Amino acid sequence: MNKNSNLSILLKGLLLENPVFVLILGTCPTLATSTTVIGAIGMGLAATAVLICSNVVISLLRNVIPSSARIPCYIVIIAGFVTIVQMFIHAYLPALYDMLGVYLALITVNCIILGRAEMFAGKNTVGKSALDGVGMGLGFTLALLMMATVREVFGAGSFAGIEIPFISNYKIEILTKAPGGFMVYGMMIALVYKLTHGKAPKKSEFSCADCPSAAFCGKTSCTAEKGEEK
Amino acid sequence: MKSQIKTVVSLTVICAVVAVLLAVTNYITAPIIKKNEAAQVNGALSVVLPSGEGFEAVDISKYELPETITEVYSEKNGGYVFKMLTSGYGSDFVLMCGIDANGAVVGATCISSNETLGAEKEYGKTLVGATGETIDGVATVSGATRTTDAYKNAVRDALNAKIILGGGSVDLRDETQILADNLNAALPAGEGKFTPVFITEILEGVQEVYKAENGAGYVLKSGENFIATAADGTVVSDVADDVKTAMSDNAKKLISSKLTQIDISGYADMPTQIEEAYKTDSGNYVFHLKAAGFGINGDAWYNPSGEYIKIKVSATKDGKIIACETVSQKETDGIGSACADKKFYSQFNGKEQTNYKEIDAISGATVTTNGYKTAISKVFDAINILKGVS
Amino acid sequence: MDAFKSLIIILMSSVLVNNYVLSRFLGICPFLGVSKKLNQAVGMGIAVTLVMVVATAVTWPIQHYILNVFDLGYMQTIVFILVIASLVQLTEMMLKRYIPALHKSLGVYLPLITTNCAVLGVTIDNITEHNFNFVESLVNSLGCGLGFLLAMVLFSGVRSRINDSEIPESFKGLPATLIAASFVSLAFFGFAGVVDKLFA
Repeated sequence: MNKNSNLSILLKGLLLENPVFVLILGTCPTLATSTTVIGAIGMGLAATAVLICSNVVISLLRNVIPSSARIPCYIVIIAGFVTIVQMFIHAYLPALYDMLGVYLALITVNCIILGRAEMFAGKNTVGKSALDGVGMGLGFTLALLMMATVREVFGAGSFAGIEIPFISNYKIEILTKAPGGFMVYGMMIALVYKLTHGKAPKKSEFSCADCPSAAFCGKTSCTAEKGEEK
Repeated sequence: MKSQIKTVVSLTVICAVVAVLLAVTNYITAPIIKKNEAAQVNGALSVVLPSGEGFEAVDISKYELPETITEVYSEKNGGYVFKMLTSGYGSDFVLMCGIDANGAVVGATCISSNETLGAEKEYGKTLVGATGETIDGVATVSGATRTTDAYKNAVRDALNAKIILGGGSVDLRDETQILADNLNAALPAGEGKFTPVFITEILEGVQEVYKAENGAGYVLKSGENFIATAADGTVVSDVADDVKTAMSDNAKKLISSKLTQIDISGYADMPTQIEEAYKTDSGNYVFHLKAAGFGINGDAWYNPSGEYIKIKVSATKDGKIIACETVSQKETDGIGSACADKKFYSQFNGKEQTNYKEIDAISGATVTTNGYKTAISKVFDAINILKGVS
Repeated sequence: MDAFKSLIIILMSSVLVNNYVLSRFLGICPFLGVSKKLNQAVGMGIAVTLVMVVATAVTWPIQHYILNVFDLGYMQTIVFILVIASLVQLTEMMLKRYIPALHKSLGVYLPLITTNCAVLGVTIDNITEHNFNFVESLVNSLGCGLGFLLAMVLFSGVRSRINDSEIPESFKGLPATLIAASFVSLAFFGFAGVVDKLFA
């Protein structure tokens, strides 16, 4: 366990294994909460908090939880942390709570969190799991922030609610709406691929490697026909 | 088997621990959340009642409040904030109004609406300071009468509700209901179904006459009193003898009044507004008129209906209007359509050629009012023509 | 009659206007993952609709007769997700046992639904967002499921065209798919306002 590998665990989440742009996880909140910079940062940090906590706890309990019941256990732990984070946001940041609405509760089924629990925390030490949580969480937040910056600046003519002179006269309002979300997301994935010169493993398809449902599913890919089972 | 037990036990333990953690967090955050929510509600309520402190929702199911009131909040100093749902020109709109302990409107605001003219956005300010006594005097906005009327009525409901919440009682019946109740009280045999009678004779001290649809008799409105008669005109209400005789005479006069149609085609100068003319045995005239209001003369931009206002007028041979009534109209809904209101056409009762113009015009409906007045003016011409005076 | 009208309005608005996938971004993973072929899209859509309705039928009473009564509102997320997970397992077992034919066609999609945010989303929405009664909740869930099915079916058609076209290297795969999704979503914008005027 040298420093270098710890650092790489932390950094890989930011770009090379960015959960949003490279692993294509957590698409729902990415699209839904990236209309405003504030909402994006709020969502990102809330998910990061849940991710770190659940990674640590699951890693701690990895020898206690029987493997047959691990997915329900993970879900309960994650849902518990989500609810705790939800209650604190409701209490101390009511405006953010109203902004995020149902998507806050839906962090529970955010594939990133269950995915990391299954892929990483369930197999690694507490320290590494925590670092992985920080890296992935920040990667998620960063991705949301990038999306939200594009969508809010060009779609609403403002940044974090502060109006930008000139641009606010030429808003492309569709960017803040649903179609704009899909569009910007698609562009971003293409851009990240271009920037990393294909070093980041681009997913042309959903593989089961990071799919949290893989444990139930037992197939090699979502579109696999019968007979191709693992 | 052993592994299954382990599975169940570990899942149960995790659930229990998580539940306890959540309960603890809830214990910490719940009071703060509640406080925040209360502050948020207070913020909205303070807009219409800035001096209000410690707002609390009132359970309105315990009171019989006007139907427009949907939510009520009380505050420490005795004031109330009311939330009302009413319907204006096109659709429902939601209002909020604050009333202080003295029963005066402190603030009124429109929360949501789809009205066409937007008059409701600023109208609340004109209602500030109004009380139950003065609110009727607040003018509506011309051109948006229906919207602002609904606004005013909703605020009046709030003022009434404040009195009810304070333990008082308020007559919540509207005019039609009051009239129906009065008629029914005067002549129970009419079984609550009455139609107004068009007055064609001069009846001393009588403003309105209603006939029981089942033929049980008539009700004469004299001042504030409702006097019932049998079908033949004898007074059945318990009133002083002289009133009894006078009213009985009036009723009989009206019942026996017969109309004979006059062939107006023989009169070359007869104004085109006169469609039909009748004469009573006592020498009074009854005219059926058509008035060119907005439906005919309206600006084509606003799709006038192309229909005349039909009016019925009775007058003495000396040219004094006995009664005037709008029979049908297709003026602009919510504006010129006010010419069908009794409040408008009854203004012509008792008017003569010299003073018929002295009536309150319908606000925002100049074309309608002018057309109506022109038609009325032809009544006087027609009487002269029929009498042979030129 | 008015109650019936309002149910129709709820149904239409959840299918067309507030389409879960295309305007609320719920259930994107299966939308992108399983919409390559029409038969798979239909299978997934039906499975999601089924689970949504069943989950609502169970979670609504739980919320109103257990959680609300005992003041346990904060257990909502945990209870709902567990209920959904168990329901999915149960539904799969039932199908396997009693309707094997249907299990053969739907069975593969069911496990994927546990962590589908659209299912958890609709059960929470019915209670928190809309405050629907039981029947309205069921209708809304049915509508959301059908909306999902509709989006899946439409998009499977769009995707088969993408596969045949030449796309710049960087855009191959998901980026092109997402941009196509953007246009389908744009098309659904046309439904805004339709529902309000349904009975006007």
